Amino acid sequence: MTSSNNSLLREPAFRIHKHRRFCISLTVVLVIFSVLGIILSWLSPIHAPLKPGLDFTGGTAIQVERICKSSCTDFSIIDLRKQLPPGAVVQTLDAGKGVSVRSLALTPAESGELVEKIDKVVGPLQASATQINTIGPLLGSQLLRSSLLALIVSFIGVAIYISLRYARLYAAMALLCLSHDVLLTSGLFAWLGLLFGVEVDSLFAVALLTLAGYSINDTVVVFDRIREQQQVLPDLTVEDQVDRAVAGTIRRSIYTTVATELPILALILFGGETLYWFAVALFVGVAIGGWSSIGLIPPVLPLVGGKLPQKQSELSLSLGE
Amino acid sequence: MSKPQGWLALILALAIGSVFVLRSLPLSLGLDLRGGSQLTLLVKPAGIVKKIEPNKLEAVQEVLERRVNGLGVSEATVTSSGENKIIVQLPGVQDPRKAADVLGTTAMLEFRAQKLNTEQEMTGLMRLKRLLEAKLDQLAGRGKSKPDPTNSLKDLLTSLNLPTPEAATEKEQLEIILADTNRRIVALFDPPAFTGTHLIDAGRQQQPNSESWEVTLRFDRIGGDQFAALTKSIAGTNRLLGIMLDGKSISEASVGPQFATAGITGGSASITGQFSAEQARNLEVQLRGGALPLPVEIIENRSVGPTLGAENVRNSLVAAILGTALVGVFMIFIYRLPGFVAVLALCLYALFNLAIYALIPVTLTLPGIAGFILSIGMAVDANILIFERTKEELQDKNSLFRSVEVGFSRAFSSIFDGHFTTLISCAALAWLGSGLVRGFAITLSIGVLLSLFTALTCSRTLLHLLLSYPALRRPWLFLGSPSVL
Repeated sequence: MTSSNNSLLREPAFRIHKHRRFCISLTVVLVIFSVLGIILSWLSPIHAPLKPGLDFTGGTAIQVERICKSSCTDFSIIDLRKQLPPGAVVQTLDAGKGVSVRSLALTPAESGELVEKIDKVVGPLQASATQINTIGPLLGSQLLRSSLLALIVSFIGVAIYISLRYARLYAAMALLCLSHDVLLTSGLFAWLGLLFGVEVDSLFAVALLTLAGYSINDTVVVFDRIREQQQVLPDLTVEDQVDRAVAGTIRRSIYTTVATELPILALILFGGETLYWFAVALFVGVAIGGWSSIGLIPPVLPLVGGKLPQKQSELSLSLGE
Repeated sequence: MSKPQGWLALILALAIGSVFVLRSLPLSLGLDLRGGSQLTLLVKPAGIVKKIEPNKLEAVQEVLERRVNGLGVSEATVTSSGENKIIVQLPGVQDPRKAADVLGTTAMLEFRAQKLNTEQEMTGLMRLKRLLEAKLDQLAGRGKSKPDPTNSLKDLLTSLNLPTPEAATEKEQLEIILADTNRRIVALFDPPAFTGTHLIDAGRQQQPNSESWEVTLRFDRIGGDQFAALTKSIAGTNRLLGIMLDGKSISEASVGPQFATAGITGGSASITGQFSAEQARNLEVQLRGGALPLPVEIIENRSVGPTLGAENVRNSLVAAILGTALVGVFMIFIYRLPGFVAVLALCLYALFNLAIYALIPVTLTLPGIAGFILSIGMAVDANILIFERTKEELQDKNSLFRSVEVGFSRAFSSIFDGHFTTLISCAALAWLGSGLVRGFAITLSIGVLLSLFTALTCSRTLLHLLLSYPALRRPWLFLGSPSVL
């Protein structure tokens, strides 16, 4: 690299170190809020850190759509209940246009019969809009196990990669950042489950796992900036080093976060019901990931003390130069 | 500057190729987008098989494939998943009941002779069974049977002094008694003389002057000999020939004395249980496909109607287009000309991405599309890193051309690291997840890898191209912060 390094030498206009008290207190508050949500959820009748959906508990969910001319005629929910297996839960959707039923896992034959019974009470139904999901109880626990395993594997994978490319201190920071992002997103959904009955399904697990890989991007960019600065300014204090790195990357972090959030926002608004909470989880997670690259890792890094480790980057791009 | 031109030619060639691919190869849509049923079957260990070996899973898969073909669902697929699961996809099927019936049972056919000296007990049990079935038919509203079985059934139950099972309704009580009766009938037969492995074909036909159907069987040579021997051994006695399916007796027949010398020869037989047309057809499909070497259980059933699927496609299409448009507006607003280049690169990215889906082919599911939409945002991330770097170089009073070059090469290591960590978690998801989860991980991985290419190569080449027009070499067109320039 033969370019000048003026941009790295310039005095930073923004110093995150000055705001560290605010950042750390906000983080502490958010973490307490999340842990509290998870504990309350555990103590409540839900009796789990997050309200588990069909994918985890197993069971059958049937959703039907009624054929309505202008408005939907009322039907007796008591009559409907009589037709259902014991312990089943009924919900009406879209101002009575749709009906959803949840019960213990049914065989395909039983589900088919149930749809016919529902049809007798609330019909006529639009047959092509019926949705049946049955998850065996065994599959639910398998999903939980494989999701947790995937989470651990990707944590370890990221940690190994960062310690190879940077240093072990940064790997520890990356893990802190990942755990923070996953914890806060889970915490929010614990509250959503407690207050609004929002359930987590396999898509939520996917969202968390995606965040486990993606949300660290912004933080890695900060690490990369520090590494670059160290070649020009090796003798700065840790605070100064971090402040300069954050000042040099903050705009990029915000822009990237916005650019990633925009399609997710479109997904929340127009993606339909199936993807709604998945998109919300991603939206929140990406925002938290952006925040942790500014407000979590930079203020915490100087607290570790000592000098920041130095390692040269072996990567460079040479296309058509 | 020959290299950028080389890249440009490559990009153009890829773009034309992608359009061509998308025109000739249709994207394959998952069942949640086109409507249909997906059944997941768990293969369970039984008998001496304690662990499901890959060859056993394959054997089960083959039988299921034959049965699915017998059902006549077009484009149905049977794939194995993990160590012990098989996924059956039935496009267009909204009510998977019939398929579940046919696929979910083992269909192990056994031919057995009745034990010696059990004739009297058998007669009693058979009478009880017929009465129970008649009564159940009557309760279900199908009862045309005369005389009314109620009284004689009551007498018989009292005389047998059976304990009344605890169940809510009369129907359930009778069903429990019937199941028990069937078990006792099965117990009166000898171990199987031979099994359905000696079948070479099965068919069905309607019985003359009747609504019920029979299933015809044809044996191979060994099966034919064994059937002859079996029928010979009971011919002319009052003992019955029992045909059991999965341990349940589906037919009990007596063999006339005329077969006492040679047995029933010719290698064919028919089962004349009281089959409905559909039952006969199901049994035919199952017997033709062969018995499952291991029992299966349906553990997952996802059925989506085609209207819902179409709605899902529409929703995700709107979200994808709107998402791309929003990102485009944002990038042009922030970065002006380079932003425009990034949007062009993004469009190329979407085009290449869809072409790859069609080529591999990747079956698009709802989570898969979500992965694609998410990767749109991630794809511009690399451009943002590059342009921020370029901006810094411009602030240092470097030339436009040089700033762009430095921006690209300096941003590379952090772009690479960021993409790599995302790929690590995608790999974990694809490796450990199944079904929907894997679909998402695969589309996201393709997106991440491809965005490395488009953000670095495409936007760089396009930017070079634009920089070759002096009219466009104006600082205010670049990166949109004239105040600092």
